Amino acid sequence: MVSSPAAEPADTLAAGGIRRLRGRSLLPAAWLAAALVALPLAGDDFLAYQVGLFLVYGIATQGVALCWGRLGFLPLGQALFFGLGAYLGGATLKAASAQPAWWLALPLALLLPAMLAWTVARLVFARSLRSGPYFSLITLAMTMLGFLAAQQWSGLTGGFNGLGGIPEPPGLDRFSTLYGLIAVAAVASTALLGVLFSRPIGTLWSAIAQNEDRMQFLGYATDRMKAAAYALSALLAAGAGALFAAHQGIVTPQAMGFVLSTEFVIWAAVGGKASPLGALLGAVAVGYASAELRDLFAAWEVLVGLLFIAVVRFLPDGLAGLARRGSGRAGTGGLGLPRLASCPAPQTSSSSRATALRFEGVHCTQGGVRILNGLNLEIEGPGIRCLIGPNGAGKTSAFNALTGRLPLAAGRILLDARDVGGRPAWWVAQQGVGRKLQVPAVFPALSVRENLTVALWAGRLRGADPLRDEPHRWSTPLCAEMLEDFPELGEALDRPAGLLPQGHRQALEFALTVLPEPTLLLLDEPCAGLSPAETRRMIEVIQRTVRRLGAGALLIEHDLGAVAALQGEVFVLHQGRLLARGSLQDLQTDLAVREVYAGGRK
Amino acid sequence: MDGGTLLHGLNIVYELATLALTTLGLAVVFGLLGVMNMAHGEFVMIGAYSVVAAQQWGWPIAAAFPLALAVCGGLGWMVERWLIRPLYARPFDTLLATWALAMLMRKVVEAIWGRGFRNIDSSLTAAVPIGSTAYPAYRLVLMALALLLLVALFFWYRRSSAGLRVRAMTGNPVLAQALGIDTRRLASQAFVIGVMLAGAAGVLLAPLIRIEPGIGIDYLLDAFFVLVVGGLGTFGGFIGGVGVIGGSQAVVSSLAGQTSGYALVLVISILFLWLRPDGLFARR
Repeated sequence: MVSSPAAEPADTLAAGGIRRLRGRSLLPAAWLAAALVALPLAGDDFLAYQVGLFLVYGIATQGVALCWGRLGFLPLGQALFFGLGAYLGGATLKAASAQPAWWLALPLALLLPAMLAWTVARLVFARSLRSGPYFSLITLAMTMLGFLAAQQWSGLTGGFNGLGGIPEPPGLDRFSTLYGLIAVAAVASTALLGVLFSRPIGTLWSAIAQNEDRMQFLGYATDRMKAAAYALSALLAAGAGALFAAHQGIVTPQAMGFVLSTEFVIWAAVGGKASPLGALLGAVAVGYASAELRDLFAAWEVLVGLLFIAVVRFLPDGLAGLARRGSGRAGTGGLGLPRLASCPAPQTSSSSRATALRFEGVHCTQGGVRILNGLNLEIEGPGIRCLIGPNGAGKTSAFNALTGRLPLAAGRILLDARDVGGRPAWWVAQQGVGRKLQVPAVFPALSVRENLTVALWAGRLRGADPLRDEPHRWSTPLCAEMLEDFPELGEALDRPAGLLPQGHRQALEFALTVLPEPTLLLLDEPCAGLSPAETRRMIEVIQRTVRRLGAGALLIEHDLGAVAALQGEVFVLHQGRLLARGSLQDLQTDLAVREVYAGGRK
Repeated sequence: MDGGTLLHGLNIVYELATLALTTLGLAVVFGLLGVMNMAHGEFVMIGAYSVVAAQQWGWPIAAAFPLALAVCGGLGWMVERWLIRPLYARPFDTLLATWALAMLMRKVVEAIWGRGFRNIDSSLTAAVPIGSTAYPAYRLVLMALALLLLVALFFWYRRSSAGLRVRAMTGNPVLAQALGIDTRRLASQAFVIGVMLAGAAGVLLAPLIRIEPGIGIDYLLDAFFVLVVGGLGTFGGFIGGVGVIGGSQAVVSSLAGQTSGYALVLVISILFLWLRPDGLFARR
């Protein structure tokens, strides 16, 4: 166990920090619980009844806020799951009042919508990283289909008139005691989200919103993580829907409609999409005020429209963000600062770690241009190799083809004996391939510490680990070494990575790439933008780390001085294929290579 | 050709023409600027209400046209300047901001004219004989106008220097700027033109529809679906999208009812969004 001076103070902070943190993650739920207990005492049962409806909407709004504020994709059709939960829950309540065995079906009323959401999200997100806006529109079209179906299949849903005569859950009264159940549900969902945000999964969600590409290169199956989060949001919506059915006693197609979907989004935006409590209170405050003032005051809805525009334009984190700014706390990620501390992390899964890489006649085209044109290249075993060649030679494209970012037109790429073709980036990363991008791609709004932990967790989180506190205390010898090699990172642990200067960002990007301890490193211009002194240090660190990991490394570099310093075999790429390979000295006398570099041949 | 078939064909052409009319504005704003203007339908709605206003104030109906262009143009300029421009880099936020704008426009119109339906009294519904059947003259005029507008826009986009600048900006905004194209002004103009087209479509459609503050959403969604199916920024895609969405809706609606037609459009759109998000004629 190597412990660095930079990691030392973090160690002593760790335990206390995390305990404080757990308390804080439940604080919003505690405030909410107190307020909801006080409400019927301060007002009367009717006030509680009215507020109860918007608490129900608020729970569904929290789901929208989870997807949008945490993971960065906007579900525009959340009412589909709300409506499904309402119809299924309402029908179950009706059936159960006649035949108690139907109570067993109630969980299905919540699980079916969640499974539908999960399936849709898996199908859509697996296809493309850039499916965000399309996903939003798909959910919108789906809720409109649901609305049509609810109107059309009147035998099942009661059509336009709705599914009426839904009884309360036994022992509860719609106009008084049901409020208690709703209040418990609202506190529970707020507490659940608060706790999740303080666990590793919360940090991973933020990281996905920040830079999904980077997450995939670390080996996180982001499409599955997004689908799971979407399913959770659908579960919240369906639960809220079932409560809605009990509260209203009738479910009409409007519960599945476009208008309600948009209202969830508006409430989340106004209340604060990054904060579960904010989203809930947004729904309660705006929704309740609208219901009260709509009839009294004709221009009220114009005012709501203006408020919404103002929030979108000037308050991206809604009123909750404003409140947080007012109380002087940091913005996103300010609460869940994980500590890098010394508690040995488990090994990354060692099965299926690739050590040999082979390109066999790889062709790739993009927009009609051939960028890889029969590339043959193979490396095996540990050690550094350099990839050089003029601009447009296909160096970065070779990395892209290997990591699932560029479809192959012909040929194949093998990791050991496994064909990479058609595999997503995260699968390749899980085979032990670490990639450092040409332009450092860190998670700008996360702190340096969070950046490092996200990379450290890659390949190490198993089972329920993402939900446990424990991984916040993980550390590895390599991690301590990185902080020693790059002291500037240790000094900036709690600052957002987006504020780091270019040179430090290169250091962070390199650390992110090696922390999952890959067996094959793809380093794309690690020294770009570094001063000569920084370049020297970077080369030393690369050499030491590659040796320590016993990894093979393929390094793209333009600076031939750096290539010479790195030693190792050199591959020259030209016009999408391998031109020559050998030691730098040999290549410097090679006529073909000289012509390419001197511009003699086209 | 017997009268029934001819009537049927004319109806489908009419559907396609109105769809093309209401989509054009969004094709400019979304297709060229990449702004998902959720208030597009509301600009169509404003166009229709300017006919209502003209009629109410005792103006000649034709005066609604300049009125709608002025209102939509002025509003569009302000919206682009203060709402869209600061948000170009944040696509989700433009979507939301224009959505909020749509809500606001709806509510303002509701506050002025109320929620009820309105119809335009007009003498334009007279039918003229065509072959063995008769067809409302105004609908024929509308089809001709839609065709004319499409052709004009095509030549403007492909042949004029302004069109060239717009294409340059769409292809590579930074390079276009480096070549001395004032992309900011150009984007503003494109947005204003887009919403003015929407307003004009509203004026033209006003005599044919029941006007109420909430009509915008249907126009918006149909237009979106056309662009999704057709892909952005190409003329062939636009025509193809209008054909697929309008055609399938018209055919299925006449066979199995309005709801089925609409459901089919939704399903087609979901499939396209999922499997071919770059549209019908995407290269990859």
